[in-house]
Amino acid sequence: MRRALAAVACLALLLPAAASAHATMREATPAEQGRVETPPTEVRLRFDQAVTAPPRGIVVYAANGRVVSGAVTTERGGTVMRTFVKGLVRGEAYTVRWREISADGHVGTGVFTFGVGVDPPPPTEAVGASGMTWRDDVARWALFASLALLIGVVGIRLLVLPRTVDPRVERRVHMLGTFGAVAAVNAGILGFVLRSANALQVSGVDLLYADLSPFAESTRFGIAFLVTTLGFGVCLTILAVAWVLDQPALRWPAFLLALALVWGFPLSGHQATEPNSSLLGEVADWVHLVTAMLWVGGVLTLAVVVWPLAPALRRAAFLRFSRIAVGLIAVLVVAGTVVAIERLPEVADLWETSYGRTLLVKLGLVLVALSWGGIHHTFVRPRLERGESSPGVGRSLIGESAVAMAVLLAAAVLVNGAPPPVETGGDAAVSPRARS
Amino acid sequence: MLPRAEIAHWLFGAGFLFFGLVILSEAIVGPEVFRRRLWRACLSPSLALLAGVWLWVIAIFSTFSTLHLIAHSMWAQAATAAGAVQLAVVLGRLRSPYWSLVTSGVLFVSGAAFLVHEQNGWLFARSAFLHHLIGWTLIVASLLPLGEALRPRRPVWTVGLAATWIAIAVMLFSDRDVAPIFGHLSDLAGGGLP
Repeated sequence: MRRALAAVACLALLLPAAASAHATMREATPAEQGRVETPPTEVRLRFDQAVTAPPRGIVVYAANGRVVSGAVTTERGGTVMRTFVKGLVRGEAYTVRWREISADGHVGTGVFTFGVGVDPPPPTEAVGASGMTWRDDVARWALFASLALLIGVVGIRLLVLPRTVDPRVERRVHMLGTFGAVAAVNAGILGFVLRSANALQVSGVDLLYADLSPFAESTRFGIAFLVTTLGFGVCLTILAVAWVLDQPALRWPAFLLALALVWGFPLSGHQATEPNSSLLGEVADWVHLVTAMLWVGGVLTLAVVVWPLAPALRRAAFLRFSRIAVGLIAVLVVAGTVVAIERLPEVADLWETSYGRTLLVKLGLVLVALSWGGIHHTFVRPRLERGESSPGVGRSLIGESAVAMAVLLAAAVLVNGAPPPVETGGDAAVSPRARS
Repeated sequence: MLPRAEIAHWLFGAGFLFFGLVILSEAIVGPEVFRRRLWRACLSPSLALLAGVWLWVIAIFSTFSTLHLIAHSMWAQAATAAGAVQLAVVLGRLRSPYWSLVTSGVLFVSGAAFLVHEQNGWLFARSAFLHHLIGWTLIVASLLPLGEALRPRRPVWTVGLAATWIAIAVMLFSDRDVAPIFGHLSDLAGGGLP
């Protein structure tokens, strides 16, 4: 069995070595996400090595989906692919979808837009791009859950638990916080790749060789991805150093940096891109996210750190968290209300749009979680204050944590959904997924 | 926005050369002497941690293919894990010699990522040849920490590891995006064209 496994492992390593010649696109004319003032007569793509052009190697689409490109040819030893385009007019944006076959048989793909006399839309709005799918929702949920560990567990350790705790508690906080940072960075990469794939319309091996740079450099979510990936990588390093040096205070910079990085979500989400966006909405969105992470992380910390590992700490931790939870939830609800009012200007949107209905589901789950917390606050807290035992609280906290995770899933679906169009001076920002 | 690949390789080559020389110094004078100063004991693990951060920078510049993005993020996480564990070992926070298995795993995963991320064959161009060579060197070198875990405190493991990093530094210095290797350059390479 071991020999078979070793043979499979060796084969797996030999396979990529046997692959040969995969090309990367180096330059496009017109430029990716570029603006030209006169309609071009051709589209040229230069690669770092020779490629074979499939029959529809370059297809250029007008905004209405009409194909404006012709046959594809190669030149300069196969390193340049070109196609003639005709009928392009000023004031319109165009989508270029390209595919090349490298010598290894892998198909490289890419998509970009350019505008003639106008600024082009981001590549996520290219002709043929699809909206979010359940996979994007799962990736976003994984990111939120990771942040609940990174910000919530580390934050509650710093803000709620006593300075000195049982070493086992410290170890588990370190473990969960570090896992949160690792998961945040990988969930961020997964989310970025999946969202790019929706626009590229590729999957599997083709996705591995797809060019993601137009999304990283020309979209808000791409720029937010670059900053947060680097930031969470730094958070991971700081948490690792805090663990190695046994300096819990070093977690403060990681915690504060993670709080700052959460700002990337409002800056790249609906709060910044919808026509009626405001600074108040962005701030409210950030506050909403941060308080939610602290609340979920707090419940998780009690459920999986304090209750199983430190019976002596249960009373103090529960009472301290209970005190700040009330404030957290108040701020969370106010900030969430501000965001909801901005996204749903009409009450009827709540039941008439898919976005509104998702929000109702999320509110229902939040009510369940708050009721659960309310029961803890009303019945468990007084017992613990009196020094009485309260059996079953550990299991109840795990239940509350599970509901909190469900709330995060609903939040992920909501964030990935498109809010209903908002009338601004006669123009409507129509979103394809809003009204069903 | 993208820095040229060879510049990133040369910077990492310089880092790995210094890293290898530090480990070689420790092998020559022995860990007891080398670790008398705390900063010297912490130097090589700290360099690995720093390389992890720097690799995140490279990762976010590697969006020209999904494969490069994932490979660089794997190296970043591998460097952080290896640096943190080694730092914990030299500071006495972790004591078991079996923690060397983390370094072994990290070297293996890094080598495998090198092989997977290189999309061209050995003789396609110089950079492809060196990427394959680096990948296999790292995979073979993953046996050295394994030896350290099973037969601790033998200089051969440390010398081997130092030689590995110095060799990888030389490979990275020799790396260019497209150049002949053994007089051969694939017709498909096309990098010499404008």
